[in-house]
Amino acid sequence: MCGTPRPATLIAVTTTTSPAASAVGLTKVYGSGDSRVAALDDVTVDFAAGRFTAIMGPSGSGKSTLMHCVAGLDEPTSGRVWLGDVELSALADDDLTALRRDRVGFVFQAFNLLPTLTAWENITLPLDLAGKRTDQRLADTIVRAVGLGDRLHHRPSQLSGGQQQRVACARAMVTGPDVVFADEPTGALDSRASADLLGLLRRGVDELGQTVVMVTHEPAAAAYADRVLFLADGRLVDALDAPTADRVLDRMKSLERVS
Amino acid sequence: MVRDLRAHRGRLAMTLAAIVLGVAFVVSTWVMSDSTARGVGDTDLRSDVDVVVRSPERGAVLAPADLDRLAELPGVTDADGVLAGRAALVGADGKLVPGPHDRAGTGWDDTGRFALTEGHAPGGPDEVAVHTDTGLSTGDTARVVLGDGREVRATVVGTFTFRTLGLERAPTLAWDADTALALFGRYDRIELTGHDIDVPAEDGWRVDTGAALNDEVRADAEASARSTKESLLAFAAVALLVGGFVIANTFTMLVTQRVRQFALLRAVGATRRQVRRAVLGEAAVLGIAGATIGTALGVGLGLGAVALSQDDATFAVSPLAILAGYAVGVGVTVVAAYGSARRAAAVAPVAALRTDALVPPRRRIRVGLGIALLLAGTAMVAATAGADLDTTSRVVGLAGGVVAWLGVLVLAPELAGVLRPVVRVLGRFGGPAVRLGGRNAVRDPRRTAATSSALLVGLALVCAFATLGETMVSMFGSTVRATVPESTTVLRSASGDEPLATDVLDRVRDTPGVTEAAADRYGFVEVTHAGVTSGTTVSAIEPDAFGTVLNQEVTVGTGDLDAGFVVGSNQAAMLGVGLGDEVTLDFGEETVTRPIVGLHTTTEAQPLFYLDVAAAPEWYRERVTSVYATGPDPAAARAALDAAFADRPDVRVFDREGLIEADMGEFEAVLAVMYAMFGAAVVIAVFGVVNTLALSVLERRREVGVLRAVGASRRLVRRTVRLESLVICGWGGIAGIMVGVLFGAIMQHVMLGRPLFDITVPYQVIGVSLAGMVGVGVLAAVWPARRAAHTDVLSAIASE
Ligand SMILES: Nc1ncnc2c1ncn2[C@@H]1O[C@H](COP(=O)(O)OP(=O)(O)O)[C@@H](O)[C@H]1O
Ligand SMILES: [Mg+2]
Repeated sequence: MCGTPRPATLIAVTTTTSPAASAVGLTKVYGSGDSRVAALDDVTVDFAAGRFTAIMGPSGSGKSTLMHCVAGLDEPTSGRVWLGDVELSALADDDLTALRRDRVGFVFQAFNLLPTLTAWENITLPLDLAGKRTDQRLADTIVRAVGLGDRLHHRPSQLSGGQQQRVACARAMVTGPDVVFADEPTGALDSRASADLLGLLRRGVDELGQTVVMVTHEPAAAAYADRVLFLADGRLVDALDAPTADRVLDRMKSLERVS
Repeated sequence: MVRDLRAHRGRLAMTLAAIVLGVAFVVSTWVMSDSTARGVGDTDLRSDVDVVVRSPERGAVLAPADLDRLAELPGVTDADGVLAGRAALVGADGKLVPGPHDRAGTGWDDTGRFALTEGHAPGGPDEVAVHTDTGLSTGDTARVVLGDGREVRATVVGTFTFRTLGLERAPTLAWDADTALALFGRYDRIELTGHDIDVPAEDGWRVDTGAALNDEVRADAEASARSTKESLLAFAAVALLVGGFVIANTFTMLVTQRVRQFALLRAVGATRRQVRRAVLGEAAVLGIAGATIGTALGVGLGLGAVALSQDDATFAVSPLAILAGYAVGVGVTVVAAYGSARRAAAVAPVAALRTDALVPPRRRIRVGLGIALLLAGTAMVAATAGADLDTTSRVVGLAGGVVAWLGVLVLAPELAGVLRPVVRVLGRFGGPAVRLGGRNAVRDPRRTAATSSALLVGLALVCAFATLGETMVSMFGSTVRATVPESTTVLRSASGDEPLATDVLDRVRDTPGVTEAAADRYGFVEVTHAGVTSGTTVSAIEPDAFGTVLNQEVTVGTGDLDAGFVVGSNQAAMLGVGLGDEVTLDFGEETVTRPIVGLHTTTEAQPLFYLDVAAAPEWYRERVTSVYATGPDPAAARAALDAAFADRPDVRVFDREGLIEADMGEFEAVLAVMYAMFGAAVVIAVFGVVNTLALSVLERRREVGVLRAVGASRRLVRRTVRLESLVICGWGGIAGIMVGVLFGAIMQHVMLGRPLFDITVPYQVIGVSLAGMVGVGVLAAVWPARRAAHTDVLSAIASE
């Protein structure tokens, strides 16, 4: 993908001004009575299209919950969510499933892949599920970026953790989704593999015009993003554009002092 | 460990079901046969008869003069002659009243045998009383065909129930004593009451006390209940064997899931023995639970069946039945779990620290053993593949089949490897559901094999017996076609295997258009050669039947029945006799010793010995079982015979194909019962499939979660599980059918003495089995697929 000219069609996406995903007054409450936990408390947020957004915050601050709700994996207690121009709360399970398949990509912390499928089959699984033919050019670009070489037709158990996460990343991008969501994708990787993976996400944004939302607790990872959102106790408390690892760390320290 | 069991409750339910079904089968069989035996023992037998004098089995008769003489004996206070003769009762609708005809007619007396339920006792040649079971009532006209073909009519004036003495069947109808004596002319037995009666030994009379005869009834009932029990227990054993596979498989899976736990136990100092005991303890608990439910269910089923089948049911639940239930339930479970227990104990403590901890495999021994069994079995079958087997080689051949079958079962996990390429091809052409489901099925070939082994055993048995049965059916058919020319018309008794009325042969001969007629007197006798005796079948026929109304190709020697026996070559091989050797047939009181003059290549559907009727004992000559007839215009002869016997519901007139059909109907009913019995095993196997699928789905919760997150619909998840199920069932089904047909080939070879691969493939049963396996595959997947489809995506992904 390095040095490849951007496909013209993808440039159009990056120039769109409307957000790729957004939430208004998003609230998620678990339990009731004494055990009541508000994982999200009236969160309103836009994720700009063609940008790489990182979500940070202490453990239990609601980062995963926010991501799950915006991605249509979880149902909010109240508030509204849009993916592109589709409002999620109006959708039934089958439509949500189709939406996840066609317009959303996921990378989880680990165990993203189906062990019986080869790396290549895992990458093309969403297309397969939709009964679509693989767009060979996009696939080639992604595969080259993933850099698996001849391991492409191996099973996940024969790949390293970093390779597995890159395969998951390629799978998330292969359908050309509206948004790729990644929940601590580097959480189980060493720094070298982390850098590879984050580079891959970054190039997806820069070169394919993809929108990426990533949850992380590592300032170094957040530094790959265009913008960092800070969550605490289920509320959006701060935002930082053009972050560097140091600035992120400073901001986190100050937030901890406040709370 | 017991707490562990409770944690796996859902998963163990299916295993429990397998144990319960097996145990229930055993216990209900036991209860049923005990109750039947007791029920017969409790029936109201006549105990007021002191001595019974009967004529010898065949031949001489007891005449009225004998009755007078016996009545004069010292100590005799009362002497009654009991009359009995062949009588075919025809109902008002012109149809035969079902049931045997032999000894169905008798004379009314006041010995207490009869209990009137309606009307009055018969009192003259125009009146009869009938048994309540006949369905006739007073006022009806009874039409009766006697043993010599005479027809009599009488009005039903009473109905009765009957009390038996010794092993006798209740008669169908009774005239008054004088009429009956006139009709039958002889007594069947003479009953004496009195004190210290001493009957002189005379004319081969058989003299017994009434008590002894009644004891015989009880002994006979017990023996028949025992033999029923034994054959049912054989089916139960198959069900248990299949259950054993299910249990073994469950424990393998449970142990695999808990490797780390066992490793931890070992790391903190548990000995291998303790780990093994812990697993066996679980098995015992499960076995006791299964046995308890199964025994209760079995007692219930058994008693229910007894209550349904007998009017005056006697319930008997022996402690032995309950003991057997527990022994079998606990025994099978513990034995089936033993392998898993050993493997659990073999887990190294270090496995606790490794993420890729595996249960140590025992593969090489298994493969070696499997190949050895398969080769040994094949060799045994090959060694006995020739024609004209003696008894030893038949046993060796059958044992070879069983050994090879065991080999296949032992090798099944390796053989399931052939599924890999199949699944690969399927995956290339099918959608994602096919690819995922198929690959999940071959992910652990051992597990797939173990699951489908249960199906394999059940289906293989069905297919083996279907092959045997279908081969027999076509053999019967082709035998009849080979021996009975198309032009021949055949007459048989309408009451099954009983002989025809004695007038039939003469009437056939006198029928216009019939020029050739011969009779067959078929029966079971004992054959003795060189001091060795065994059972065989004989057909006494007129020598000129060959070549006219019957064909019988003689391969060695001549078909000259005047000079001696013509014997089936199989039979000759089993007896170790050849042309010119003398053999003796024992007909009871009389024996016939003749040389063998010819051999015919038979199937065992044919009589093994052909004998000139002139050389048969006189009483045997009258026992005509079939009459064969033809004429210059066979169609005209048949039409004439149809017309001649139109008024004789006790005689059935067949053409060749009709004869084949009538014989096969009964046989296929027997086969159907057998399929139903093996069906129990298949049901247990299905529980095993459900169990495996449920466990697989549970283990793959996270995968299902990822699949759903990535955009797989619930439907696709369901289809994936269903496909996995279909692959497992398909494998079990196809392997079962192949093993079954091969084993069926061996069975028909050793049992019928036919060439090994000259079989009729039971396409119908195979088709039904395949369709059934697809149905089972879909059905077994319903519940696991639902669970998988409703996996909560978020919690599945969060769990590790
Ligand atoms: N399924 C659940 N049931 C109850 N509480 C939950 C559930 N999932 C998350 N929570 C709670 O919601 C809060 C936010 O969780 P999460 O979004 O996972 O935080 P983060 O990803 O930032 O660590 C936490 O307090 C957590 O305990
Ligand atoms: Mg989280």
